[in-house]
Amino acid sequence: MMAPLATPEIDERTDVDGAPDTPWETVVWNDPVNLMSYVVRVFREYFGYSAEKATSLMLAVHNEGHAVVSQGVREQMELHAQAMHDYGLWATVRKAPR
Amino acid sequence: MSRDVLVVVSAWEAANLLDLIGQFAALVEEPDDRDPAVARLTPDPYPDDAEASAQFRDVAQSELLRRRAADARTVLSGLRAVAPPASADPDAFVELTLDDDAVRAWMRTLAAVRLVLASRLGIVSEEDHDAEDPRFGVYDWIGYRLDALIHAVETHQGNENT
Repeated sequence: MMAPLATPEIDERTDVDGAPDTPWETVVWNDPVNLMSYVVRVFREYFGYSAEKATSLMLAVHNEGHAVVSQGVREQMELHAQAMHDYGLWATVRKAPR
Repeated sequence: MSRDVLVVVSAWEAANLLDLIGQFAALVEEPDDRDPAVARLTPDPYPDDAEASAQFRDVAQSELLRRRAADARTVLSGLRAVAPPASADPDAFVELTLDDDAVRAWMRTLAAVRLVLASRLGIVSEEDHDAEDPRFGVYDWIGYRLDALIHAVETHQGNENT
């Protein structure tokens, strides 16, 4: 994709300290196979979440059908989803609802 | 400080794990794209965006299955190193010492084997269970093994933290 050379696109990306304009999310979905203990273990091991946070996310997945496990830039959310897939969890990436 | 985790299984279990995980390795090494179990192992992260989905799958799917195969090989080589001969007492115990990488490979592989078995058994809800079907026995046994491993890891870490 070509942009006119005069377009100072870079200026729009210099605000690295602020929150990204459109955050993305990694969402983990419930499935009938993965053990609750395993899902907690994965959240603790991969994200480094506390036992409490990992457990409450697991329960949200279990009871509500899904949970947002991380928010941030798209590339990072894609890496997280891939990591979840490596563990056998069912994860998707989406734009955070406004 | 060592974080190795000790796993104890019977000779009978070791033989069955070798068989089952050997089959799993073959499945991920030469995946059939039409196989629903392969589809479950490689979920689509963009179910509502065909373009993003296609871009992602082109690269990510085969890489993911390659990592699966590597995990399975780690588990198999560990089991082969301790597996007793077929003539051994099936109730005799064998011990494996797993480092961090091996623990991760074991957890992922056991969880993935359950996903494949669930796909073969047609498990779509938590209520799907047929006590008469011996394949559910295998499914439950792998779940028991995975749960025991998680428990061993967490007990281990708990001891280190105190």
